Amino acid sequence: MPLLRSYTPHYFSIDDIMATQERLPCKFEVDVLRLGEYCRNQAKIIMSNTTALKVAKKSFLDPSSDDEDIKTGTTLELPYWLARALCNRNRSIVSVNIPRIYKEAYREILKAEASVVDLHRLCVYFYEFGSYLSGFNHRDSTEIGNLLVQCFKDRFRLIMDWAQNSSGDTSGSGRGAGSDPTARLDNLERGLLITGRSSWEALEAWLSQGGGRPIGPANMVVNHQKRQLANASVS
Amino acid sequence: MFGDKAFELIKELERCPDSLPAFNDEGVRQVLEEMRVLFEQNQKDVNVSVSGDANYFAGVQLRHTSLERNKRCLLAYLYNRLQYIRQMRWEFGSILPPEIKFNLCEPEVKWFGNYSKYLANYMKTIGDGYGLDLTQDTKPPKSLYIEVRCLVDYGKLELEDGEIVLLKKNSQHLLPRSECEPLIRQGILQHIVH
Amino acid sequence: MDVDLELEDSDNEETITAQSVLAKLEEAWMNEKFSPEILPHRTEIVDCMLEQIHQMEENLNKLKKSDFRVVIHRMELDRIRYIITSYLRSRLEKIELYTSHILEMESKRPVEERYLSPAEYKFAQEHQSHLENHFETVVLRHMPYNIRTLDKATMSVAPNLFSQVFLRANKTVNGVIVETGVEGAEEEVELDGNSQHIIQYKAIAELVKSGSVQLI
Repeated sequence: MPLLRSYTPHYFSIDDIMATQERLPCKFEVDVLRLGEYCRNQAKIIMSNTTALKVAKKSFLDPSSDDEDIKTGTTLELPYWLARALCNRNRSIVSVNIPRIYKEAYREILKAEASVVDLHRLCVYFYEFGSYLSGFNHRDSTEIGNLLVQCFKDRFRLIMDWAQNSSGDTSGSGRGAGSDPTARLDNLERGLLITGRSSWEALEAWLSQGGGRPIGPANMVVNHQKRQLANASVS
Repeated sequence: MFGDKAFELIKELERCPDSLPAFNDEGVRQVLEEMRVLFEQNQKDVNVSVSGDANYFAGVQLRHTSLERNKRCLLAYLYNRLQYIRQMRWEFGSILPPEIKFNLCEPEVKWFGNYSKYLANYMKTIGDGYGLDLTQDTKPPKSLYIEVRCLVDYGKLELEDGEIVLLKKNSQHLLPRSECEPLIRQGILQHIVH
Repeated sequence: MDVDLELEDSDNEETITAQSVLAKLEEAWMNEKFSPEILPHRTEIVDCMLEQIHQMEENLNKLKKSDFRVVIHRMELDRIRYIITSYLRSRLEKIELYTSHILEMESKRPVEERYLSPAEYKFAQEHQSHLENHFETVVLRHMPYNIRTLDKATMSVAPNLFSQVFLRANKTVNGVIVETGVEGAEEEVELDGNSQHIIQYKAIAELVKSGSVQLI
């Protein structure tokens, strides 16, 4: 009895939290006092991810960072959840810019050859992040909305086709160049592909066996046994 | 950056959707610590703002948003783990394998026990008090008897009509579907189809 | 629903009644399975059907094991039991997923018009309180005091009423209004008796509840 329902992001939804973590360029319109450490660490993180993270943690907890400010005009990549809260009608602390993959140059590419673009590489949450971006009061907003719909329409047929014909894996493990083309799908598309495949398999099984499929062990039990086996062979 | 540690917890769940990682006590504690610091700093800056300096408003806003984000990630972390644990009640039954139970934190074990309890209470009331086990009959029935192979040395199984069957590893039996379904679900018997 | 159990004395009428209850159960089951939201409970059908099952089982136990009729009847019983459990599982699944949303909706309905049966309602309440309790014990009580509350409005998980569903119209229905997604635009559709459609659930939710259409 899996809790499977049609696509509806909500407060606890992992996918939605992942999508709202995607970053976009923001420019500070006012001074933000006593947060400067946070800004400097951003630069460090870009240079060296692992060590800077430790520094970021330390300086954040360090009260001496109190006197550091973010000056008006500073540009930073902020996650969507933060940008959204700081950029609203009444009093904008930041102004947002649209990530380049949703800008005109990329839009042209997507319009021309939607079906061959590797969305997964551009942004794993391409549609979800895109639709959030289209909610900003930005000159590109309407265009992004149209783009998402068109792009989805163009690619949907392909996904349907894959769901019914290929048996490649969707785990995304072998995502090298020229390997499984389904690796080019974004998260939403991949979900559709998996649903499509399993219903197609169910239909085929029903057609060939008249629905008399054997009763199987529960999924979790199978996974658990596999792991036990793997552990046993390692130790 | 604010909220990163909380996001790590979510990524942990996202990385392995087919298993339940050990409850990340330390991760949760660190997020709560970050929240405490954010809150204290905000208290300070709010006080300054009240005394006339409006320049601190942006920082307060930023930290407040981060607090909310941390809260969302923490609650989502707990929520999605419970979803998984709940599913285990339906697939493993009311007793969890010890290796799995080991990955639960104590309140989660408690929640699992409670869930089992109120689920059982609900199932008892179905049909005017006759009771009905909803974890059974999960597939549309095709035949009364099915052929099964035993995958482990299980021992004796008493059927509803009093007959006793000895389930030895690799032995095959023709048994009433309704009585061996739970054993198939637990991976003890295998349903053979020709 | 007018199932008259008093009629059971007469063999002939009993079969008709049992048949019609089964048909109603199957309708309720399909509707519940395909509708994104929880539908008004049909406990009376479930209770009545389970009652029938128990009686049939008792009768079967009186027959010899080798009697051919036993096999046929047992098959039928298994099938009915599957429909009942599947129906109740679908409901439970929605109750667990949409707990706070459902409880919120229920609080606006008079007790006798509740969508949940009393037992389901109790289950929902317990489910909600144990979830909140878990949140409270593990994290909320360690948070700064001004952020500790659970905001029902933002956290409530609600079904997607814009899901597309398949249906068969039991009778002709005129003037079904479908929102087309483009701001405020609406479209009016006519469902002919016995015709089949794929349509947005929100537009026909009331028709499912009144029995004018059947989800398939």
